[in-house]
Amino acid sequence: MRQWFRIAFPKNYLDRRKRAGFLFVLPALLFFGSVFVLPLAQSIMYSFYKIAPGGAKEFVGLRLYEKVLTDPTFWTAVGNTVQLLLFSVPTTVVLALAVALGLNRITNLRWRNVWASMYFLPFATSLVAAALIWQWIFDPVYGFLNYALSFVGIPPQKWLQSLVEVRPAIAAVSVWVRIGFDTMIFLAALQSIPEEYYEAADMDGASAVQRLRYITLPLLNPQIIMVCILELIFNFKIFDQVYATTQGGPAGESQTVIMLLYDTAFKYFRFGDASVMAVFVFVTLMLVTLLQWRLFRKPVEY
Amino acid sequence: MNSIVRSSELSRRAGLNLKQVHVRWLITLVVACGAIIVFFPFFWMAVTSLKTAPEIQRVPLQIAPDNWLNLTNYIEVFKREPFMRYLLNSTIVASIAAVSSVVVSSLAGFGFAKYHFPGRDFLFLAVVGIMMVPFQSVVVPLYVWMNDLGLLDTYMGIVAPDLVSVFGVFLMRQAIEMIPNDYIDAARIDGASELRIFFLVILPSVKPAIATLLIIKFLWSWNEFFWPMVVISSPQMKVVTMGLMSFTNMYFIEYNLLTAAAVISILPILLIFITLQRWVVQAVVMSGLKG
Repeated sequence: MRQWFRIAFPKNYLDRRKRAGFLFVLPALLFFGSVFVLPLAQSIMYSFYKIAPGGAKEFVGLRLYEKVLTDPTFWTAVGNTVQLLLFSVPTTVVLALAVALGLNRITNLRWRNVWASMYFLPFATSLVAAALIWQWIFDPVYGFLNYALSFVGIPPQKWLQSLVEVRPAIAAVSVWVRIGFDTMIFLAALQSIPEEYYEAADMDGASAVQRLRYITLPLLNPQIIMVCILELIFNFKIFDQVYATTQGGPAGESQTVIMLLYDTAFKYFRFGDASVMAVFVFVTLMLVTLLQWRLFRKPVEY
Repeated sequence: MNSIVRSSELSRRAGLNLKQVHVRWLITLVVACGAIIVFFPFFWMAVTSLKTAPEIQRVPLQIAPDNWLNLTNYIEVFKREPFMRYLLNSTIVASIAAVSSVVVSSLAGFGFAKYHFPGRDFLFLAVVGIMMVPFQSVVVPLYVWMNDLGLLDTYMGIVAPDLVSVFGVFLMRQAIEMIPNDYIDAARIDGASELRIFFLVILPSVKPAIATLLIIKFLWSWNEFFWPMVVISSPQMKVVTMGLMSFTNMYFIEYNLLTAAAVISILPILLIFITLQRWVVQAVVMSGLKG
């Protein structure tokens, strides 16, 4: 306390310098405090109150939690989101890893850059545009995908309009958007692995599979975990792609948690219910992140 | 040491047998095919935007448009929707977000990297921890705030939560940490104030990081959809991502117009992205390797 007082009203040069440092970070702190910390606290608070449209609040304890968490619509949305995740996260990470390993083996730098940029391009597009382009490719009658599949004898599918295929189809859009980002992270990590390790493995007569299994993958472990966490968070919050294409349909089969949150808050203006979902999203992502971190993070030494 | 490494590398390369050469070609082929598949949707979007409505409904499907210079869809997009206005709105919002982000983040990065005030490390950890808070978890209170402040349906309202990002602070701190303390001390001995040091010593030394942050923030802000959907209600305040949605509905979509609108919305950002890709990659790698 005294320390802070001294810095707030500095008498000597060193304290004045410390105050300058604090003043430099102050705008950012104020911003994050008012845009994230305070609203998060408010979200938690709102989840215990019933808010009438006029703004009158009534404390209802855990009643809203009971209401939302026993609502089958909510759990359907959670289930759909998790299914989407299960399609997209492993696919993205495995494909990105494969692409990065492949790119790393291409010795012609110019061509490597060309291929890498092509994988990276979707990262620049908005999710809305990406989803709409894919919706056109998925079109059951005039879409390119069904046309291409007809050459291998697969009959036309309904994709986004099908109860079964809608989730894999939306997941494919997420994979397309994210693959380049993950590839870049893996590629950078691969290039920082010292060449000597592979030379030593060569001398010991290691096969390509062994080198991958015992050198590359263990050294990539931190990046793989991090990319998994990032993808999990990204895909759990899926909204744009669904909103732009199916709006949760057909028959609610692609309704996701954030879609439900958005509708609850800004279509029906039930802020209390929406806040329960907001807290749910926050807590879930927090737990998943911490859990993954604890379970899989191993120290790596180069 | 270096020459030994190089000679072993050379002998390894010379020792490539035929099978290894084949494997290398195969890898290149697979990677290239994947890249072409990933690129295809862009091609398909561009091609569709040059076709007429009857053309895209032809059976069997025809890949090339009848007229490669048919720009009627683009003209129609601007006629039907105030798309110029959307582009302008997005540009304004993304520019404000990018610039404010650079200013606030570099100030904070400087403070965190080069000063020792009490609680610094805790505060930095707290800032990084904010990355764990999903934006969707704070959106309802933010909406209420915007409503109370009268910022709904304004530029300020769209840009407010986007003014600074944790990533920016992180990036700038990382970059500023690399600047030798001697430079700063030398400026101090010359009698420069702390703010003067920031402008004359710090900022010029971290130009690459500034460029990176400007681009990536502009990109993110341009592609934002969720928050604009929440705050914007009047047509003339819509941003590009929302404008795209005007060309789609549940029952009937004119894909020739939609793809033209998509090209318009993506093209500016794609051009920036391609020319400055080096910086973007740097930002991604930065966020990846340090995570």
